[in-house]
Amino acid sequence: MLVIDKYAYQNKIVHWSPVLKGCLWLLGMILAFQPLIWLKLLLLVGVVSATLYVTGVGLHQYLRWYYGILPFLALSILGIILTVGPSRHTLYWSLPVFGQYFGISKVMLPQGLTIGLRALSAITCTYFLALTTPFQQIVYLLVKLHLPRLLIEETMLMYRFIFIFIAAWEQIYHAQQLRFGYRNFHTSIHSLSLLIKLLFEQIIYNYREMDNALAVKLYHGEFPITTRERSGNNA
Amino acid sequence: MLELQHVNFSYEPGKEVLHDINLKLDQAQVIGIIGPNGSGKSTLFLNLVGIQRPDSGQILLDGQPLRYDKKSLLALRKRIGIIFQNSEQQIFYSLVEDDVAFALHNLGLPQAEIDARVDQALAKLDISDLRQRPIQYLSGGQKKRVAIAGILVLDSEWLLLDEPTAGLDPDGRRRMVRLIHQLIANGQKIILSSHDMDFMYEVGQYFYILQDGKIVKSGDKQSVFRERTLIEAAKLEQPWLVRLHEDLHLPLYATPAELFADKALQKKLAQLDLSGEEEKE
Repeated sequence: MLVIDKYAYQNKIVHWSPVLKGCLWLLGMILAFQPLIWLKLLLLVGVVSATLYVTGVGLHQYLRWYYGILPFLALSILGIILTVGPSRHTLYWSLPVFGQYFGISKVMLPQGLTIGLRALSAITCTYFLALTTPFQQIVYLLVKLHLPRLLIEETMLMYRFIFIFIAAWEQIYHAQQLRFGYRNFHTSIHSLSLLIKLLFEQIIYNYREMDNALAVKLYHGEFPITTRERSGNNA
Repeated sequence: MLELQHVNFSYEPGKEVLHDINLKLDQAQVIGIIGPNGSGKSTLFLNLVGIQRPDSGQILLDGQPLRYDKKSLLALRKRIGIIFQNSEQQIFYSLVEDDVAFALHNLGLPQAEIDARVDQALAKLDISDLRQRPIQYLSGGQKKRVAIAGILVLDSEWLLLDEPTAGLDPDGRRRMVRLIHQLIANGQKIILSSHDMDFMYEVGQYFYILQDGKIVKSGDKQSVFRERTLIEAAKLEQPWLVRLHEDLHLPLYATPAELFADKALQKKLAQLDLSGEEEKE
């Protein structure tokens, strides 16, 4: 189950207009990409506290959502600031490697950190949107932005099927876990490949069932998009 | 009227799933197709709505053989609605009301009528309060009702329910019985498939027993459920109300409610003092 999704339906500003929330997100993005560092920091602190307040999510749980992103962010920053040069004066903490010096570039360090901060503030703003805006409001925004129908239809269906997919994945995973499928590296790799195979088979099987259900619901190639402005309900 | 004449069907050559099926589905308002797992009930339903096509024999709707071009299938599926066993694979939208309205949008009905029909269907199934709920947070029983509402909105002449009680808790099952009684009262024609014998006995009116793709028995409550040997040979069991009658010689009741409301029986049983408490002492 996606916990992150639950907060979108039950937060203090769920009834705000999706357009307003979209504009807030855009404003956040602009502030994240403007050059003033202090303003970025202010944005970061401001949005984090606002998110915690309106969603009521605990700080610990909130920080856990960053675990998946931080490694990527850290790697990108390292890629920017680490460098090899002929002189040790341009580097901090240099190490001699094959007649060259390897270390942190004095020029790139502030740039790398700025980019890191920019990315972090942008992600925080996006989390704010994701945690306060139910999916139907996002669809409404997409329609308002006149994005192509096909794209919106696909987004709609993907959102629905993510949950079916996660449920199927969890079921197989737990069944394997209970039979010691993930005891060590060897069995884990084996179980994981079985899991992927099973999921694939289920997809084919479910596809057939869904195809039948679509036929009896008189589907003829288009998923109608409902565009009434709605607010989420207390799920 | 819906009729099957000598219908044979197989998914792969040489392995017949339906064998020489002859059905006239007009004996009663609620017709039950009873059979164990793998007897061909779902396949029979898929044939009825034109998703599968008989290898030989034919299906007649009001005397006309089914046709399989796009237009005829659309007309057929407006007249025969079917609810499959797995709800999850019949729900495509993430919001209850959007999903229930899906078929109506496909028909291109005006929004006002769609709203009215969705309101009605949600009220019938007692899920008006779930209207704006995201599907992923509903229980299995609630999803089942959403799936039913999504077909009920079509107001089709026939309603096919494949294993309607599978996976439901006692409350869900009670609701299903109530819903079917309510639909009967509204004049809805229903075809049920199930191996839940007590359920079928309670709501059905005319029955066919399907075993290994063949109809082995048909008839009303009296004639079908009393055939113990035949029922057991078909890997089914008699409803408990029928067993009370046959083994304990109680009157034959049509529903559990009728049994528990029988004051005369209660009086007689009270005189017998069957609690067994004295013996224990």
